[in-house]
Amino acid sequence: MFAGILTLWGQYFGNFLGGLGISLEITVAGLAFALVAGAGFAALRLARFRVLRLIGTAYVEVVRATPMLLVLYIMYFGLGQVGIKLPAYWAAVIALGTFYAAQFTEIFRGGIQSVDRGQREAADALGLSRWQRLRKVVLPQAVMTILLPSTNALADIIKDSSLVITIGLSDLMARTYEATSATFEPMDMFLLAGVMYLVVYLLLSRVLGRLELNVQRRHG
Amino acid sequence: MFSDVMVNSTPSDIAVDIRSVTKKFGERTIFGDVSLQVRQGEVVALIGPSGAGKSTLIRCVNCLTPFESGSIMVLGHELHGTNEAKRGPSREMLKSIRTETGMVFQSFNLFPHMSVVDNVALAPVLVLGTSREEAREQARELLCSIGLSHRVDAYPRHLSGGEQQRVAICRALAMKPSLMLFDEPTSALDPELVGEVLGAIRALVDRGMTMMLVTHEMMFARDVADTVAVMADGALVEIGPARQVLDDPQTDRCKSFLSRVLQQKAPSANTSAPSMGAQIAADAPTQEHEQARDTDRKRKHAEEVER
Amino acid sequence: MNIGFDTSQMLHGAVLTVELAAGGVGVSLVLGALGGLARSRGPRWLRWLIVGYVELVRGLPQILQLFILYFGLTQFGINLSPFTAGFIWMCFYGTGYAIEIFRAGISGVHPGQLEASTALGLSRFQSFRRVVLPQAVARMVPPLTTFVILELKNTTLLYIIGVPEIMYHANLLASNSQPLNIYLIAVGFYLVMNMTLGRLGAYVEHKMSWAKS
Ligand SMILES: Nc1ncnc2c1ncn2[C@@H]1O[C@H](COP(=O)(O)OP(=O)(O)OP(=O)(O)O)[C@@H](O)[C@H]1O
Ligand SMILES: [Mg+2]
Repeated sequence: MFAGILTLWGQYFGNFLGGLGISLEITVAGLAFALVAGAGFAALRLARFRVLRLIGTAYVEVVRATPMLLVLYIMYFGLGQVGIKLPAYWAAVIALGTFYAAQFTEIFRGGIQSVDRGQREAADALGLSRWQRLRKVVLPQAVMTILLPSTNALADIIKDSSLVITIGLSDLMARTYEATSATFEPMDMFLLAGVMYLVVYLLLSRVLGRLELNVQRRHG
Repeated sequence: MFSDVMVNSTPSDIAVDIRSVTKKFGERTIFGDVSLQVRQGEVVALIGPSGAGKSTLIRCVNCLTPFESGSIMVLGHELHGTNEAKRGPSREMLKSIRTETGMVFQSFNLFPHMSVVDNVALAPVLVLGTSREEAREQARELLCSIGLSHRVDAYPRHLSGGEQQRVAICRALAMKPSLMLFDEPTSALDPELVGEVLGAIRALVDRGMTMMLVTHEMMFARDVADTVAVMADGALVEIGPARQVLDDPQTDRCKSFLSRVLQQKAPSANTSAPSMGAQIAADAPTQEHEQARDTDRKRKHAEEVER
Repeated sequence: MNIGFDTSQMLHGAVLTVELAAGGVGVSLVLGALGGLARSRGPRWLRWLIVGYVELVRGLPQILQLFILYFGLTQFGINLSPFTAGFIWMCFYGTGYAIEIFRAGISGVHPGQLEASTALGLSRFQSFRRVVLPQAVARMVPPLTTFVILELKNTTLLYIIGVPEIMYHANLLASNSQPLNIYLIAVGFYLVMNMTLGRLGAYVEHKMSWAKS
């Protein structure tokens, strides 16, 4: 029986690995989008003007209330109504980026606000400019608070990338589903995919976890 | 103060008998072969540098921490090291030891979700089976006697540090203990609040309470303690009558500890023979008192930074 | 208001969404409390088992978990209806999250609290029940609010296996006309539900502020 599973796994492993590659590609592209947009919205949320802060807050509140799948459908099916036809790949990347930008906005904001007020005051007392203060004093200290939730967010993006099965991309999840109907051994196929997702997840949480420990040590 | 605190007495004259106790955390030996006796009604002050193991030693006495070898007799109950006894102390014995000893922590550890009076009444109700009304009534009386009658229904976070620590003392006294353990009860307090807590402890001493007191308040120790034990480098380096140990230390380790504590605050004083007696001659006692605290804090901070 | 299509079906979907989420949260909280307790106080083997379970829930994509229950089990002759498979998954997933919330809540209580109650002579159970638990619950309110919202959003995945919740009806409507408008209405549904929950959470948190040190 085990021999049977192993033959099946051997048969599909290469195919699945290709799917995992696509999943990771979408993940990395989505992450890049989310980081940039997240930094922008965090700046809005911390801005001096009320209107800007309000825009930042509204974005975070609305996006965080919306399920990821719905965001994906809006990008892929919804935008067609106003004449924007995104290819599935870009719809996926933009959807992940839009959704996780809201998470990163909160992560960045939390990190920056976690830095003690006194640090800001000390920098002001030394005559540093706003930008110098952020760059040299606040951010280096905020990094610690930002790293851990960012790792978690990255792990979430990888998992949520599996939603692209619903818009016809050929990622790991989609290939797994195809394989189940080809082999009529769904559990065996899900197990293989599960192991692959878990390996990525554990690598991410363990390796990044260790990296964070190192940074933490260096910064005391 | 504390007119209604009963001081029980057990048949034996010895309240606590620590016999060659060794304590490790993992591979690291915190202290080895430590022996110390506390007689009924005696006040023993435990002093020494930070990290010496003073807190750990008094935690061993009421079993908050197990120890490896040796034995401790607490109010007639025998505790054995984990290396020697097959089984740990029985549940009943633990309960009696903890009921008969009161403990006051450096960081107060009041229960934040209960009002002051409930903090004090909780254990009598749960452990001694006192009725709720009676326990609260007794708690009120205790709190009144310590000058906190107006704070009875407040929550801990609304109290000052000194008030919190006095509530913690009441909480321990509500169990009518015959032995009190204090672990640096004033170290977390602002200087101006130290006096009120020391006053409460002094009132207990006057009522004849048996005590083990870890402290960095040298003046206070000299004043109220019968015996001072100096702990350093994993051992008790000197034990003796309070004034003798503090004014005229015999061992080098003890001398160097006391000189470090006392030296910094009065550079003009003669440092070749550091002693409390000399310091007192040089300084007014009240000033001395606060400066000693201050020096202590700085030293502690410096040592933490080193680590 | 006439917006050119009938949203009453979506309202029915919303009711089902709320029912599913409420049921899932209820079951998960009970199992999560037991699991969280076992995770902090239980025997070693049980702790490891629970750690493994939580890692599975957090490490595998949600759809994969759902597909395993709905499609995977058919390999062993177990055919669950979409609704049953979906609900079981909501509970399976929610329990993993709830366990972590309870564990973090319990271990977040300052160790000095347990020490103080032990030194007063309270038994382990009394210390837990009277001193640790009330403080743990108070700290758990914000993550629990997040958790309820998460379960609510998770119901959308059940649409993929054919459970007729909001997304399901939104898609039916979207295939005939103006998809963007339909989806934005769906966003509105979620927004209302989330804001209600957020307010509720903030209110409970405020009510429990006594437990803050
Ligand atoms: N739970 C623990 N696990 C491991 N090591 C511990 C633990 N508690 C204390 N230690 C170590 O044991 C040593 C003695 O600690 P202890 O708290 O008893 O010192 P202390 O004399 O009370 O110092 P202080 O004046 O700072 O309170 C310290 O070096 C400390 O790091
Ligand atoms: Mg200590």
